[in-house]
Amino acid sequence: MNNVVQTANQLSLKTKAIALENLGFSYGQERAILTDVNLTISAGETVGLIGANGAGKTSLFLAVCGILKPTYGEVKLFDRSIEAGQFNPEIGLVFQNPDDQLFCPTVRDDIAFGLENIELPAPEVEARINAALSLTGVTHLADRISHQLSGGEKCMVAIAAVLAMLPQIVLYDEPSANLDLRARRRLIHFLNSSRETTVVSSHDLELIVEVCDRVVMLNQGRIVADGSPAEIMSNRDLMESNGLEVPHSLTHYHENLGKK
Amino acid sequence: MKLVLDRYAYLDSPVHRWQQSYKLIGLLSLIFAFAFVQNIWLLPIMVVITSILFTLSRIPVSFLIKRLRYPSWFILAVVFFLPFISGENIILQLGSLTLKEEGCWQALLISVRFFCILTVSLVMFGTAPFLSSIKAMRSLGLPSVIVDMSLLAYRYLEELSETLTTMQRAMKLRGFQPKGFTHRNLKVFSQLTGSILIRSYDRSLRIYQAMILRGYGSQTKIKKRQLKSTLVNSDRFSLIATSIAVITGICIMILELVLPSF
Amino acid sequence: MHIPDGFLPPQVCLTGYALTGGLTWYSLNQIKKDPDIQANIPKASLLTAAFFVASLVSIPVPPTSVHLIFNGLMGAVLGYYAFPAILIGLFFQAVMFNHGGMSTLGVNAIIIGAPAIAGYHLFRQREHLQGKRQILTKALSFAAGAGALLISASMFAVLLITCISPDMDVHAERTAILLSLVGYSIQAVVEGLFSVMLISFLEQVKPELLKG
Repeated sequence: MNNVVQTANQLSLKTKAIALENLGFSYGQERAILTDVNLTISAGETVGLIGANGAGKTSLFLAVCGILKPTYGEVKLFDRSIEAGQFNPEIGLVFQNPDDQLFCPTVRDDIAFGLENIELPAPEVEARINAALSLTGVTHLADRISHQLSGGEKCMVAIAAVLAMLPQIVLYDEPSANLDLRARRRLIHFLNSSRETTVVSSHDLELIVEVCDRVVMLNQGRIVADGSPAEIMSNRDLMESNGLEVPHSLTHYHENLGKK
Repeated sequence: MKLVLDRYAYLDSPVHRWQQSYKLIGLLSLIFAFAFVQNIWLLPIMVVITSILFTLSRIPVSFLIKRLRYPSWFILAVVFFLPFISGENIILQLGSLTLKEEGCWQALLISVRFFCILTVSLVMFGTAPFLSSIKAMRSLGLPSVIVDMSLLAYRYLEELSETLTTMQRAMKLRGFQPKGFTHRNLKVFSQLTGSILIRSYDRSLRIYQAMILRGYGSQTKIKKRQLKSTLVNSDRFSLIATSIAVITGICIMILELVLPSF
Repeated sequence: MHIPDGFLPPQVCLTGYALTGGLTWYSLNQIKKDPDIQANIPKASLLTAAFFVASLVSIPVPPTSVHLIFNGLMGAVLGYYAFPAILIGLFFQAVMFNHGGMSTLGVNAIIIGAPAIAGYHLFRQREHLQGKRQILTKALSFAAGAGALLISASMFAVLLITCISPDMDVHAERTAILLSLVGYSIQAVVEGLFSVMLISFLEQVKPELLKG
């Protein structure tokens, strides 16, 4: 029995949630935004995507969701090759600016939006809204007007709106930008408890340290590092040559390792 | 939605060197003269003048063709129907449809006028950055309210367009695929539009605060000084070019009045 | 609903410019009476850009799709600022997309802008008329949106068809005008409904926007 459970665990861990095969993207004749990207993310992983501005993080997200059509290469979600322009319910994207995805009058309406698009029956819609509200801790905001919420509240409502669709993969684009410390702490706590395959793109490297079990570094559209967050982000030369800085919590990482 | 029009604003040509305020006066006179033309004999003259101007501007022909593509559909539609419904002298009979002579000439007149005016407009605005055109209009006396509104609206146009694109993508990622005309689809579009309006409105409040913190509202005297300096700093080349354009326009109008009708 | 260059005789173009000049002067005078003019100019400018961008959205109305014009709505939201806003919007459209022309800018501004002012006055009646506020707002929103479009469409159709050729048969002209008005009535209904929905959304989420 244990063997079966173990194998099942290994198999599910090995399920490729996202597979990018030799992906490239550029706008017409201009400089390439993404070049030869090969990346596999297993189901259940929480991966951090880091890189300087203009490295291609947002474009990578848009390509993975099927919004941008790659110039070459393939995107597979759970071994299914996706076509750009199609709606893929297994993946969700939380945009950097929550205002970009909250446009209905009330919070409840905004969460219901996606569910109505997939034509769920009303009781199911109601159930999912309540579940999403409770998961993100914003039940008390259900009937408030989205535009009038604070930055942190909007962030959690935007997440609720995406999670209500029950995606198996969730991408977060700069989720902690514009959050105060308390809201940020709530977000970190939330990300740590989420079970979906998660990819977080962020300049907030401390958040990545706390939340992610793997980090992928992009520079000018190419993957330049992929592995343990602590190892990669404590490497001063690597970080600085790619336009980043070693996060404060890791400045003494190697010294501490040595002491052990 | 990049302002593609500016793409060739940085070339070097006699037209590019023509000071924008003078260029506007000269080429607008030409446009009005072209709009004035009803006489078929003047069409070849219009085409020659337009071609000379366009060649001098060094704007690539491919760009002109691209710009002509969209409005040409309208022209084609009209031009196609006119010969069948307008006029009395029948030149061809196709079953129950009759091709009339006057209609054909009308169609030619409209097409050539359209083509020439459009090309001149392209040269007028495509040979300088768009902002220079707005500033030139200010120096020509356009009311300050309109100038301020134009500058600000232009400044935020591209950003708002990107915001709209991002919001539509967010909607699409949550399954919105509007196919028919339903109450729900219309409601979603109205909410999308409403959100863009609200976000612009909120943004404008912050912009206004930033503006007053940097002296907005205390500039009326400065603007009058600017107007005078523009006129004083004009160069002879621009003056001559404008005179040629205006005189050409007047000659065309005189010819239109004087020549026997076609 | 934009008349391109080359279509209209010069007298019509000049009249259009004269009328636009007049209405612009009048609108600016009304605007100058605004005690909050300094704050309202950035608001009006950003909203001009927002309406411009919104008019690029394609709304499916089978068998085709439409781009809404929003002139009644702009009147309701911007008041007298709507006329310069529309003039600027049309100028941008002419220069950027060759949608409408430079010689016909004056005419197009009257076609689209004058009904916007009418829409403003119509919508403003909700302050003066008796009746349940919500119903009144909905009715006047629809009237402003649909009405402004119908007036614009009528002016556009009549002008284009009568001016396009001096030799056109009167009967053909009349038929053409009627046919196009039937088509535009559908768009008018869409604009009216859209205006109702948008204004209720704004009332719910940001009522200050409607008090300008």
